[in-house]
Amino acid sequence: MLAARALRLVGRRAISTSVCVRGGHGVAKVDDYALPIRYVQDLSSEQKSLKEKEKGSWATLSNEEKIALYRISFNQSFAEMNQGSAQWKSVVAGMFFFFGLTGLVVLWQRKFVYGPVPHTFEKEWKEKELQRMLDMRVNPVEGFSSQWDYENKQWKK
Amino acid sequence: MAHPSQLGFQDAASPVMEELLHFHDHALMIVFLISTLVLYIIVAMVSTKLTNKYILDSQEIEIIWTVLPAVILILIALPSLRILYLMDEINDPHLTIKAMGHQWYWSYEYTDYEDLGFDSYMIPTQDLAPGQFRLLEADHRMVVPVESPIRILISAEDVLHSWAVPALGIKMDAVPGRLNQTAFITSRPGVFYGQCSEICGANHSFMPIVVEAVPLEHFESWSSLMLEDASL
Repeated sequence: MLAARALRLVGRRAISTSVCVRGGHGVAKVDDYALPIRYVQDLSSEQKSLKEKEKGSWATLSNEEKIALYRISFNQSFAEMNQGSAQWKSVVAGMFFFFGLTGLVVLWQRKFVYGPVPHTFEKEWKEKELQRMLDMRVNPVEGFSSQWDYENKQWKK
Repeated sequence: MAHPSQLGFQDAASPVMEELLHFHDHALMIVFLISTLVLYIIVAMVSTKLTNKYILDSQEIEIIWTVLPAVILILIALPSLRILYLMDEINDPHLTIKAMGHQWYWSYEYTDYEDLGFDSYMIPTQDLAPGQFRLLEADHRMVVPVESPIRILISAEDVLHSWAVPALGIKMDAVPGRLNQTAFITSRPGVFYGQCSEICGANHSFMPIVVEAVPLEHFESWSSLMLEDASL
């Protein structure tokens, strides 16, 4: 519903304003639309004669003429407007590339920058820690020690 | 203590912490419901080919999405306030302990009957016995009798610290020149770890809190032993 109203042409410029549109139980100012892009254009002589022909019966118009008339008024067909692009492929490719780059940076850091972890991360220490946590009944209600079967000395299935 | 890569709360060792666990479940469920609804609406908005540019007003939905959040907030506030007042109830403690924060250790004073005081330093990593927990163990634990209401007065001797034990649901700032009081009851015996929770300098990460809840007889023999050690 076009709510911008062209008032007049001045020197091949259209002057327009927005119009109050009655919306049933309220009133709205619909001024988020400018005039269509091709409201004022210079037509070639064939286009002008085609526009004259358009004033008659449309049955006499050939398919190419109808398409030419459409192209005068509109930039793209619906098919052209709705088609997607292949841009997403570049985006995803760039994303994976930077993931990989970050991964390489992280691996390099681990090898060449970080020092050794504390000795408490050794396997035997961790086993003793685990046994100590079970002996101390750490989180016995629903957490850690509740998963251990103390009779059979194994994790609960 | 938490097991490695634990995400949720530790099991509650005090009744207040139990209440907090259940309240957290309640509030988190509400949060999940709201987030799911919003996510669904976003996906529906983004993935439609339809357009609608001419809605002018919509009183009904405006009323709904004003009243419903108010109701949700009340549903969250009521259990929350209940727990808040629960924590402030008169509890007639059996024991009063003072926990003083220093840079960078805690000191505990049991002065109800005798004059017992001691410092609690972290055990350095290289001095740990096999199986002890790095950055969590302390040389002297704060021993309390199990299932007894304990009052704890928290303060600091130099800078801000904070006395926190997650399993008991306690965190209280240690402010120099101020006494902060809180209370707890341990529902079960065990050892409960915490860490200083207010930045206090270079070794802020290295002044843990260890609370050991034991039966009363053990507490009595422990405090006699500590008094003897102190007097030596």
